[in-house]
Amino acid sequence: MNCTQARRLFGACWDDETTQVERELLESHFASCPRCRAAYDEFSRALELAASLPRVEPAPDLVERLLSRVRRLGPAPDHLPALRPVWLPVAAAAAVLVIVGILLAPWFGLRPAPPSGPSQLARQPVAQPVRVPTAAPQPAVAGAPAPRPGAGTEFVGIPDSLFDHSEDMEFILDPVTLHRGRASVARASLKQPGIQGEQAVITF
Amino acid sequence: MSPDRDPSAPAIVSLSDEDLMAQVAEDDERAFTELVRRFQGRVINLVSRVLNDRECADDLAQEVFVRVFVHRRNYRRGSKFSTWLFTIAANLAKNEIRRRVRRRNWFSLDALQEMLKDSVIQLADPTESRESALEREQLQAAVGLAIATVPEKYRLALVLRDIEGLPYEEIALVLNIPGGTVRSRINRARSMLKRKLQPLLRKVVAP
Ligand SMILES: [Zn+2]
Repeated sequence: MNCTQARRLFGACWDDETTQVERELLESHFASCPRCRAAYDEFSRALELAASLPRVEPAPDLVERLLSRVRRLGPAPDHLPALRPVWLPVAAAAAVLVIVGILLAPWFGLRPAPPSGPSQLARQPVAQPVRVPTAAPQPAVAGAPAPRPGAGTEFVGIPDSLFDHSEDMEFILDPVTLHRGRASVARASLKQPGIQGEQAVITF
Repeated sequence: MSPDRDPSAPAIVSLSDEDLMAQVAEDDERAFTELVRRFQGRVINLVSRVLNDRECADDLAQEVFVRVFVHRRNYRRGSKFSTWLFTIAANLAKNEIRRRVRRRNWFSLDALQEMLKDSVIQLADPTESRESALEREQLQAAVGLAIATVPEKYRLALVLRDIEGLPYEEIALVLNIPGGTVRSRINRARSMLKRKLQPLLRKVVAP
């Protein structure tokens, strides 16, 4: 066994994955090669240092803070509806067309729409957060606040996000079938006061 | 979530992680709490070693469990819960690293070299009782910083393997890369770590 072959076995040796034969060859190489012996000592010392770092303990109130946060979340959708950003410009363009059409209607002698029509349209934000109907609301967890009466929809997604994951987020939530999803971002309308960053919605 | 739960149901602490997660999917808060209790230490440790940031680790760990809860119906029975959990944790940590890199809010190699050059760190000899707490803390800080300066894709594999002790096969699932790639990344990461810690390691080799 030469030095290159010996050094290639360092990792397997540390992981205790060498065969009996490999281990014996390595030992006999070390006996005749103090440089490889010293290199292996350094290698294992470095990994020992990493492995012996003290465990970082969670804050004592992590569970409580987490529970109060998830209680504020709505019921779980069976499957998260896909928020397709490609539709947002289309929807925005359609909204603009409708509004322009309504504004121009009197000029063409058309009867103006009933007052509720245009004002409702105008109130529609362009980038709508994804909402799902919760006809039969089922509280997510014990103690979860019941949906407000009259509120037929619940926000879906993850509020209170302290982290900006607006880019390059790729989730593989099912390691067995390796489902891939790419995150998209619901902007502006989902922002909460005082919270930096954008909310990520994971699609599948 | 039913307070009048079947008394013959097995105690929650005796359930497997996967059975608990199946109950979380049915909105069982007690099952969720038990899973958080079981895994919060490992998640916090993983993210704080990857980020080398204790303060941020708490928030990020919370984020991991919120995602577990939000996606509770997407968990497939039959897959190992801890693999799924570590996948979420690794992805969030990765995103946080990239966010910091974009903001240039990151540890530099220079900082590590300064630390190793200027400090009076002596390698802790386990039989040596004179080792002061301060020296031990400095040593641990240097090791933490050395890990944090390993490039992201190697660092995640390194922490999963050599700090969290995951088997290679599970790391391949968590990082969604082939087994051979996991091995080569870990080999590279270990060599990098050894090189970074060289000034400390030499002291122990010298008589
Ligand atoms: Zn040699």
